[in-house]
Amino acid sequence: MSSNEFLECLDELLELPPGTVAFGDALEQHGWSSVAVIGFLALADEKFGEAPSPALLAKCRTADDLAALFPGRIAQ
Amino acid sequence: MAHARIGGVRIKGIASAVPAAKRSISDEIPAFGEQASKIAKMTGVYSRRVAPAGTCASDLCYAAAESLMRNLNWAPDSVEGLFLVTQYPDYMFPASACSLQQRLGLSKECAAFDLNLGCSGYVYGLWVASSLLAASGLKRVLLLAGDTATKTASPQDSSTAMLFGDAGSATALEPGSAADVMYFDLGTDGTGLKHLYLPAGGFRTPHTQETCVRRLREDGNTRSDEDLHMNGSEIFAFTLREVPKSLRAALAFSGWTPGDVDAFVPHQANQFMLEHLAKRTGLKEKMVLVLGEFGNTSSASIPLAMTARLREPLQAQPMKLLLSGFGIGLSWATVALMAGPMVMPELVEVP
Repeated sequence: MSSNEFLECLDELLELPPGTVAFGDALEQHGWSSVAVIGFLALADEKFGEAPSPALLAKCRTADDLAALFPGRIAQ
Repeated sequence: MAHARIGGVRIKGIASAVPAAKRSISDEIPAFGEQASKIAKMTGVYSRRVAPAGTCASDLCYAAAESLMRNLNWAPDSVEGLFLVTQYPDYMFPASACSLQQRLGLSKECAAFDLNLGCSGYVYGLWVASSLLAASGLKRVLLLAGDTATKTASPQDSSTAMLFGDAGSATALEPGSAADVMYFDLGTDGTGLKHLYLPAGGFRTPHTQETCVRRLREDGNTRSDEDLHMNGSEIFAFTLREVPKSLRAALAFSGWTPGDVDAFVPHQANQFMLEHLAKRTGLKEKMVLVLGEFGNTSSASIPLAMTARLREPLQAQPMKLLLSGFGIGLSWATVALMAGPMVMPELVEVP
Protein backbone atom coordinates (compact mmCIF):
# COMPACT_ATOMS: atom_id res chain seq x y z
CA MET A 1 0.00 0.00 0.00
CA SER A 2 1.30 3.49 -0.83
CA SER A 3 1.51 6.17 1.83
CA ASN A 4 -1.17 8.18 -0.01
CA GLU A 5 -3.51 5.18 0.01
CA PHE A 6 -2.85 4.76 3.72
CA LEU A 7 -3.76 8.40 4.40
CA GLU A 8 -6.88 8.08 2.24
CA CYS A 9 -7.92 5.09 4.34
CA LEU A 10 -7.54 7.22 7.46
CA ASP A 11 -9.63 9.99 5.87
CA GLU A 12 -12.37 7.48 5.11
CA LEU A 13 -12.18 5.93 8.57
CA LEU A 14 -12.50 9.34 10.22
CA GLU A 15 -15.23 10.41 7.76
CA LEU A 16 -13.12 13.34 6.51
CA PRO A 17 -12.77 14.71 2.94
CA PRO A 18 -9.97 13.01 0.95
CA GLY A 19 -6.61 14.72 1.50
CA THR A 20 -7.37 15.85 5.05
CA VAL A 21 -5.06 13.68 7.15
CA ALA A 22 -1.33 14.22 6.58
CA PHE A 23 1.77 12.68 8.08
CA GLY A 24 2.82 14.69 11.12
CA ASP A 25 -0.77 15.54 12.05
CA ALA A 26 -1.87 14.76 15.57
CA LEU A 27 -4.64 12.16 15.37
CA GLU A 28 -6.54 13.99 18.09
CA GLN A 29 -7.08 17.02 15.83
CA HIS A 30 -8.98 14.79 13.39
CA GLY A 31 -11.40 13.33 15.95
CA TRP A 32 -9.49 10.14 16.78
CA SER A 33 -11.60 8.27 19.33
CA SER A 34 -12.30 4.81 20.75
CA VAL A 35 -14.67 4.25 17.80
CA ALA A 36 -11.85 5.14 15.37
CA VAL A 37 -9.51 2.73 17.15
CA ILE A 38 -11.94 -0.14 16.52
CA GLY A 39 -12.30 0.96 12.91
CA PHE A 40 -8.52 1.04 12.51
CA LEU A 41 -8.22 -2.51 13.85
CA ALA A 42 -10.68 -3.67 11.18
CA LEU A 43 -8.89 -1.63 8.52
CA ALA A 44 -5.53 -3.19 9.45
CA ASP A 45 -7.04 -6.67 9.49
CA GLU A 46 -8.53 -6.12 6.03
CA LYS A 47 -5.56 -4.41 4.37
CA PHE A 48 -2.62 -6.14 6.09
CA GLY A 49 -4.18 -9.40 7.27
CA GLU A 50 -3.44 -8.67 10.92
CA ALA A 51 -4.61 -6.24 13.59
CA PRO A 52 -1.99 -4.47 15.72
CA SER A 53 -1.94 -4.87 19.47
CA PRO A 54 -4.51 -2.45 20.99
CA ALA A 55 -1.92 -1.59 23.66
CA LEU A 56 0.52 -0.41 20.95
CA LEU A 57 -2.25 1.34 19.07
CA ALA A 58 -3.21 3.26 22.22
CA LYS A 59 0.28 4.82 22.23
CA CYS A 60 -0.05 6.21 18.69
CA ARG A 61 -0.37 9.98 18.54
CA THR A 62 0.16 10.72 14.80
CA ALA A 63 -0.53 9.17 11.41
CA ASP A 64 3.21 8.39 11.28
CA ASP A 65 2.88 6.32 14.47
CA LEU A 66 0.06 4.34 12.88
CA ALA A 67 2.07 3.70 9.71
CA ALA A 68 5.04 2.57 11.83
CA LEU A 69 2.94 -0.32 13.14
CA PHE A 70 3.37 -1.91 9.69
CA PRO A 71 7.08 -1.65 8.91
CA GLY A 72 7.97 -2.19 5.26
CA ARG A 73 4.33 -2.47 4.20
CA ILE A 74 3.54 1.16 3.46
CA ALA A 75 5.62 2.45 0.53
CA GLN A 76 6.89 6.04 0.75
CA MET B 1 -8.29 -26.20 20.87
CA ALA B 2 -11.03 -28.58 22.04
CA HIS B 3 -13.12 -30.33 19.43
CA ALA B 4 -16.14 -32.47 20.27
CA ARG B 5 -18.50 -34.46 18.07
CA ILE B 6 -21.74 -35.31 19.84
CA GLY B 7 -24.35 -37.51 18.23
CA GLY B 8 -27.85 -38.64 19.09
CA VAL B 9 -29.12 -35.43 20.69
CA ARG B 10 -31.94 -33.34 19.26
CA ILE B 11 -33.09 -29.78 19.98
CA LYS B 12 -36.85 -30.06 20.49
CA GLY B 13 -37.55 -26.37 20.95
CA ILE B 14 -36.26 -22.91 21.81
CA ALA B 15 -38.05 -20.03 23.55
CA SER B 16 -36.86 -16.57 24.52
CA ALA B 17 -38.10 -13.87 26.88
CA VAL B 18 -37.29 -10.18 27.23
CA PRO B 19 -38.40 -7.45 29.61
CA ALA B 20 -41.28 -5.37 28.24
CA ALA B 21 -39.49 -2.10 29.05
CA LYS B 22 -37.62 -0.61 26.08
CA ARG B 23 -34.83 1.91 26.06
CA SER B 24 -34.00 3.59 22.76
CA ILE B 25 -31.08 5.63 21.47
CA SER B 26 -33.02 8.85 22.08
CA ASP B 27 -33.00 8.02 25.80
CA GLU B 28 -29.18 8.08 25.74
CA ILE B 29 -28.73 11.57 24.29
CA PRO B 30 -29.00 13.41 27.64
CA ALA B 31 -26.01 11.44 28.98
CA PHE B 32 -23.86 11.08 25.88
CA GLY B 33 -24.96 13.84 23.45
CA GLU B 34 -23.79 13.47 19.84
CA GLN B 35 -21.54 10.58 20.82
CA ALA B 36 -24.65 8.41 21.29
CA SER B 37 -25.42 8.38 17.55
CA LYS B 38 -21.79 7.66 16.62
CA ILE B 39 -21.64 4.75 19.03
CA ALA B 40 -24.98 3.37 17.87
CA LYS B 41 -23.81 3.53 14.27
CA MET B 42 -20.89 1.28 15.19
CA THR B 43 -22.58 -1.10 17.64
CA GLY B 44 -25.84 -1.29 15.69
CA VAL B 45 -27.80 -0.98 18.95
CA TYR B 46 -30.76 1.40 18.63
CA SER B 47 -33.13 -0.16 21.15
CA ARG B 48 -32.71 -2.52 24.10
CA ARG B 49 -34.89 -4.27 26.65
CA VAL B 50 -34.06 -3.41 30.25
CA ALA B 51 -35.16 -5.47 33.24
CA PRO B 52 -36.68 -3.39 36.06
CA ALA B 53 -35.24 -3.54 39.57
CA GLY B 54 -36.17 -6.85 41.13
CA THR B 55 -36.31 -8.77 37.84
CA CYS B 56 -33.46 -11.26 37.58
CA ALA B 57 -32.04 -13.28 34.72
CA SER B 58 -33.71 -16.32 36.28
CA ASP B 59 -37.13 -14.62 35.94
CA LEU B 60 -36.60 -14.15 32.21
CA CYS B 61 -35.38 -17.73 31.84
CA TYR B 62 -38.37 -18.94 33.88
CA ALA B 63 -40.78 -17.17 31.49
CA ALA B 64 -39.04 -18.71 28.47
CA ALA B 65 -38.96 -22.20 30.03
CA GLU B 66 -42.60 -22.07 31.11
CA SER B 67 -43.68 -21.10 27.59
CA LEU B 68 -41.49 -23.76 25.99
CA MET B 69 -42.64 -26.60 28.27
CA ARG B 70 -46.28 -25.64 27.70
CA ASN B 71 -45.83 -25.58 23.91
CA LEU B 72 -43.96 -28.90 23.95
CA ASN B 73 -46.51 -30.48 26.27
CA TRP B 74 -43.67 -31.52 28.54
CA ALA B 75 -44.84 -32.60 31.98
CA PRO B 76 -42.61 -30.88 34.57
CA ASP B 77 -41.72 -34.20 36.18
CA SER B 78 -40.35 -35.51 32.86
CA VAL B 79 -37.38 -33.12 32.94
CA GLU B 80 -34.26 -34.77 34.36
CA GLY B 81 -31.69 -32.03 33.87
CA LEU B 82 -31.81 -28.24 34.27
CA PHE B 83 -28.67 -26.30 33.37
CA LEU B 84 -28.60 -22.52 33.69
CA VAL B 85 -25.97 -20.38 31.98
CA THR B 86 -25.79 -16.98 33.66
CA GLN B 87 -23.46 -14.42 35.17
CA TYR B 88 -26.32 -12.71 36.98
CA PRO B 89 -27.53 -15.24 39.56
CA ASP B 90 -30.24 -14.57 42.14
CA TYR B 91 -27.77 -15.05 44.99
CA MET B 92 -24.00 -15.52 45.28
CA PHE B 93 -25.02 -19.06 46.13
CA PRO B 94 -26.74 -21.46 45.76
CA ALA B 95 -26.96 -21.91 42.00
CA SER B 96 -30.07 -20.23 40.57
CA ALA B 97 -30.83 -23.50 38.76
CA CYS B 98 -31.89 -24.87 42.17
CA SER B 99 -34.45 -22.10 42.55
CA LEU B 100 -35.69 -22.66 38.99
CA GLN B 101 -36.10 -26.40 39.58
CA GLN B 102 -38.59 -25.55 42.30
CA ARG B 103 -40.29 -22.66 40.47
CA LEU B 104 -40.83 -24.73 37.31
CA GLY B 105 -42.28 -27.56 39.38
CA LEU B 106 -39.63 -30.03 38.25
CA SER B 107 -39.22 -33.28 40.09
CA LYS B 108 -36.61 -33.79 42.80
CA GLU B 109 -35.15 -36.43 40.46
CA CYS B 110 -33.65 -33.59 38.42
CA ALA B 111 -29.97 -32.62 38.19
CA ALA B 112 -29.61 -28.82 38.32
CA PHE B 113 -26.59 -26.52 38.27
CA ASP B 114 -25.31 -23.20 36.94
CA LEU B 115 -22.57 -22.46 34.41
CA ASN B 116 -20.83 -19.12 34.91
CA LEU B 117 -20.18 -17.97 31.36
CA GLY B 118 -21.45 -15.05 29.30
CA CYS B 119 -21.06 -14.41 25.59
CA SER B 120 -19.79 -17.91 24.78
CA GLY B 121 -22.15 -19.48 27.33
CA TYR B 122 -25.01 -20.64 25.11
CA VAL B 123 -22.76 -22.80 22.93
CA TYR B 124 -20.87 -24.05 26.00
CA GLY B 125 -24.22 -24.87 27.60
CA LEU B 126 -25.32 -26.73 24.49
CA TRP B 127 -22.10 -28.73 24.63
CA VAL B 128 -22.52 -29.58 28.32
CA ALA B 129 -26.23 -30.42 28.02
CA SER B 130 -25.84 -32.54 24.89
CA SER B 131 -22.75 -34.30 26.30
CA LEU B 132 -24.65 -35.24 29.45
CA LEU B 133 -27.67 -36.38 27.47
CA ALA B 134 -25.51 -38.51 25.20
CA ALA B 135 -23.39 -39.97 27.98
CA SER B 136 -25.69 -40.35 30.98
CA GLY B 137 -28.95 -41.52 29.50
CA LEU B 138 -30.99 -38.53 30.68
CA LYS B 139 -34.33 -38.36 28.85
CA ARG B 140 -35.14 -34.66 28.84
CA VAL B 141 -33.01 -31.62 29.57
CA LEU B 142 -33.67 -27.89 29.73
CA LEU B 143 -30.79 -25.55 28.95
CA LEU B 144 -31.54 -22.04 30.20
CA ALA B 145 -29.34 -19.07 29.27
CA GLY B 146 -29.92 -15.52 30.38
CA ASP B 147 -28.29 -12.37 31.70
CA THR B 148 -29.21 -8.92 32.95
CA ALA B 149 -26.00 -7.08 32.07
CA THR B 150 -27.75 -3.70 32.19
CA LYS B 151 -27.61 -4.00 35.97
CA THR B 152 -23.81 -3.71 36.01
CA ALA B 153 -23.28 -1.18 33.21
CA SER B 154 -22.41 2.27 34.53
CA PRO B 155 -24.81 4.82 33.01
CA GLN B 156 -21.74 7.08 32.54
CA ASP B 157 -19.65 4.53 30.63
CA SER B 158 -20.09 4.90 26.88
CA SER B 159 -18.43 1.54 26.22
CA THR B 160 -21.16 -0.43 28.02
CA ALA B 161 -24.17 1.78 28.86
CA MET B 162 -25.66 1.77 25.36
CA LEU B 163 -24.64 -1.74 24.36
CA PHE B 164 -26.24 -4.26 26.67
CA GLY B 165 -29.80 -5.53 26.88
CA ASP B 166 -31.46 -8.14 29.09
CA ALA B 167 -32.96 -11.48 28.00
CA GLY B 168 -33.51 -15.09 28.96
CA SER B 169 -33.94 -18.26 26.94
CA ALA B 170 -34.82 -21.94 27.20
CA THR B 171 -33.73 -24.78 24.94
CA ALA B 172 -35.27 -28.24 25.20
CA LEU B 173 -33.13 -31.28 24.37
CA GLU B 174 -33.95 -34.95 24.03
CA PRO B 175 -32.16 -38.03 22.72
CA GLY B 176 -32.32 -38.03 18.92
CA SER B 177 -31.36 -40.26 16.04
CA ALA B 178 -27.90 -41.14 14.76
CA ALA B 179 -28.33 -38.40 12.17
CA ASP B 180 -28.40 -35.70 14.82
CA VAL B 181 -24.76 -34.67 15.14
CA MET B 182 -23.24 -31.51 16.60
CA TYR B 183 -19.65 -30.43 15.85
CA PHE B 184 -18.15 -28.19 18.53
CA ASP B 185 -15.01 -26.12 18.66
CA LEU B 186 -14.27 -24.61 22.09
CA GLY B 187 -11.46 -22.48 23.51
CA THR B 188 -10.30 -20.21 26.34
CA ASP B 189 -7.65 -17.52 26.79
CA GLY B 190 -7.63 -16.40 30.42
CA THR B 191 -4.75 -13.98 29.77
CA GLY B 192 -7.39 -11.55 28.53
CA LEU B 193 -9.62 -11.88 31.60
CA LYS B 194 -9.29 -8.22 32.64
CA HIS B 195 -10.36 -6.87 29.26
CA LEU B 196 -13.98 -7.76 30.12
CA TYR B 197 -14.85 -8.28 33.78
CA LEU B 198 -16.47 -7.05 36.94
CA PRO B 199 -13.45 -6.12 39.07
CA ALA B 200 -14.96 -6.10 42.58
CA GLY B 201 -17.74 -7.71 44.56
CA GLY B 202 -16.43 -11.27 44.45
CA PHE B 203 -14.07 -12.82 46.94
CA ARG B 204 -10.83 -11.71 45.19
CA THR B 205 -11.75 -8.06 45.69
CA PRO B 206 -14.70 -7.94 48.10
CA HIS B 207 -17.23 -5.12 48.18
CA THR B 208 -16.20 -2.08 50.22
CA GLN B 209 -17.46 1.50 50.36
CA GLU B 210 -14.64 2.38 47.95
CA THR B 211 -15.38 -0.26 45.32
CA CYS B 212 -18.82 1.16 44.58
CA VAL B 213 -17.69 4.77 44.06
CA ARG B 214 -17.81 5.83 40.40
CA ARG B 215 -14.69 7.64 39.17
CA LEU B 216 -13.44 9.04 35.88
CA ARG B 217 -11.08 6.46 34.34
CA GLU B 218 -8.17 6.74 31.92
CA ASP B 219 -10.39 5.74 29.02
CA GLY B 220 -12.61 8.78 29.67
CA ASN B 221 -15.50 6.76 31.11
CA THR B 222 -16.88 6.96 34.62
CA ARG B 223 -17.47 3.73 36.48
CA SER B 224 -16.90 1.98 39.80
CA ASP B 225 -15.09 -1.29 40.40
CA GLU B 226 -18.52 -2.87 40.80
CA ASP B 227 -19.49 -1.83 37.28
CA LEU B 228 -18.73 -3.91 34.20
CA HIS B 229 -15.40 -2.97 32.62
CA MET B 230 -14.88 -3.59 28.91
CA ASN B 231 -11.85 -2.70 26.82
CA GLY B 232 -13.59 -2.69 23.44
CA SER B 233 -10.44 -2.58 21.30
CA GLU B 234 -8.91 -5.58 23.12
CA ILE B 235 -12.15 -7.53 22.72
CA PHE B 236 -12.28 -6.68 19.04
CA ALA B 237 -8.64 -7.75 18.56
CA PHE B 238 -9.36 -11.01 20.43
CA THR B 239 -12.37 -11.64 18.19
CA LEU B 240 -10.34 -11.06 15.03
CA ARG B 241 -7.63 -13.37 16.36
CA GLU B 242 -9.71 -16.33 17.56
CA VAL B 243 -13.22 -16.38 16.11
CA PRO B 244 -12.46 -16.83 12.38
CA LYS B 245 -10.26 -19.81 13.34
CA SER B 246 -13.06 -21.26 15.45
CA LEU B 247 -15.64 -20.83 12.67
CA ARG B 248 -13.34 -22.48 10.15
CA ALA B 249 -12.54 -25.30 12.57
CA ALA B 250 -16.21 -26.11 13.22
CA LEU B 251 -16.98 -25.97 9.50
CA ALA B 252 -14.04 -28.23 8.64
CA PHE B 253 -15.00 -30.63 11.44
CA SER B 254 -18.57 -30.88 10.10
CA GLY B 255 -17.47 -31.11 6.48
CA TRP B 256 -19.49 -28.03 5.51
CA THR B 257 -18.41 -25.00 3.53
CA PRO B 258 -19.75 -21.48 4.28
CA GLY B 259 -22.06 -22.00 1.31
CA ASP B 260 -23.66 -25.04 2.96
CA VAL B 261 -24.73 -23.05 6.02
CA ASP B 262 -28.38 -21.94 6.06
CA ALA B 263 -27.92 -19.45 8.91
CA PHE B 264 -24.93 -18.13 10.83
CA VAL B 265 -26.02 -16.95 14.28
CA PRO B 266 -23.16 -15.25 16.12
CA HIS B 267 -23.25 -13.89 19.64
CA GLN B 268 -24.74 -10.43 19.12
CA ALA B 269 -21.69 -8.48 20.23
CA ASN B 270 -21.35 -5.42 18.03
CA GLN B 271 -22.58 -4.94 14.47
CA PHE B 272 -19.40 -3.44 13.06
CA MET B 273 -17.37 -6.29 14.51
CA LEU B 274 -19.79 -8.96 13.27
CA GLU B 275 -20.02 -7.55 9.76
CA HIS B 276 -16.24 -7.49 9.49
CA LEU B 277 -16.03 -11.03 10.85
CA ALA B 278 -18.72 -12.37 8.52
CA LYS B 279 -17.17 -10.70 5.48
CA ARG B 280 -13.80 -12.21 6.32
CA THR B 281 -15.22 -15.72 6.71
CA GLY B 282 -17.61 -15.69 3.75
CA LEU B 283 -20.69 -15.82 5.97
CA LYS B 284 -22.07 -12.30 5.51
CA GLU B 285 -25.13 -13.37 3.52
CA LYS B 286 -25.99 -16.00 6.12
CA MET B 287 -25.61 -13.87 9.23
CA VAL B 288 -28.55 -13.22 11.58
CA LEU B 289 -28.50 -9.85 13.40
CA VAL B 290 -30.93 -8.55 16.05
CA LEU B 291 -28.66 -6.03 17.77
CA GLY B 292 -30.76 -3.13 16.56
CA GLU B 293 -33.77 -4.27 18.57
CA PHE B 294 -32.28 -5.99 21.60
CA GLY B 295 -28.62 -5.00 22.00
CA ASN B 296 -26.00 -7.39 23.31
CA THR B 297 -27.85 -9.81 25.57
CA SER B 298 -24.80 -11.87 26.54
CA SER B 299 -25.56 -15.61 26.97
CA ALA B 300 -29.13 -15.21 25.63
CA SER B 301 -28.18 -13.49 22.40
CA ILE B 302 -27.95 -16.56 20.16
CA PRO B 303 -31.30 -18.19 21.12
CA LEU B 304 -32.94 -14.74 21.13
CA ALA B 305 -31.69 -14.10 17.60
CA MET B 306 -33.07 -17.50 16.56
CA THR B 307 -36.47 -16.73 18.10
CA ALA B 308 -36.60 -13.27 16.52
CA ARG B 309 -35.36 -14.16 13.02
CA LEU B 310 -35.53 -17.92 12.40
CA ARG B 311 -38.79 -18.86 14.10
CA GLU B 312 -40.75 -19.55 10.92
CA PRO B 313 -38.17 -21.62 9.04
CA LEU B 314 -37.09 -23.56 12.12
CA GLN B 315 -40.69 -24.52 12.91
CA ALA B 316 -41.09 -25.90 9.40
CA GLN B 317 -37.85 -27.52 8.29
CA PRO B 318 -34.34 -28.65 9.20
CA MET B 319 -31.63 -26.04 8.83
CA LYS B 320 -27.85 -26.20 8.86
CA LEU B 321 -26.87 -23.74 11.60
CA LEU B 322 -23.53 -22.31 12.61
CA LEU B 323 -23.70 -20.81 16.12
CA SER B 324 -20.74 -19.00 17.66
CA GLY B 325 -20.32 -17.31 21.04
CA PHE B 326 -17.23 -15.36 22.12
CA GLY B 327 -16.23 -12.79 24.71
CA ILE B 328 -15.87 -12.73 28.46
CA GLY B 329 -13.29 -15.17 29.80
CA LEU B 330 -11.88 -14.71 27.28
CA SER B 331 -13.73 -17.66 25.89
CA TRP B 332 -15.22 -18.87 22.62
CA ALA B 333 -17.30 -21.75 21.32
CA THR B 334 -18.73 -22.59 17.89
CA VAL B 335 -21.09 -25.39 16.90
CA ALA B 336 -22.20 -26.61 13.48
CA LEU B 337 -25.45 -28.52 13.75
CA MET B 338 -28.60 -29.49 11.90
CA ALA B 339 -31.71 -28.28 13.79
CA GLY B 340 -35.44 -28.19 13.12
CA PRO B 341 -38.26 -28.62 12.68
CA MET B 342 -38.74 -27.64 16.28
CA VAL B 343 -41.19 -25.91 18.61
CA MET B 344 -40.52 -22.17 18.79
CA PRO B 345 -43.06 -20.18 20.79
CA GLU B 346 -43.49 -16.45 20.18
CA LEU B 347 -41.11 -14.13 22.00
CA VAL B 348 -42.33 -13.71 25.60
CA GLU B 349 -42.47 -10.20 27.10
CA VAL B 350 -42.07 -10.05 30.87
CA PRO B 351 -43.71 -7.02 32.58
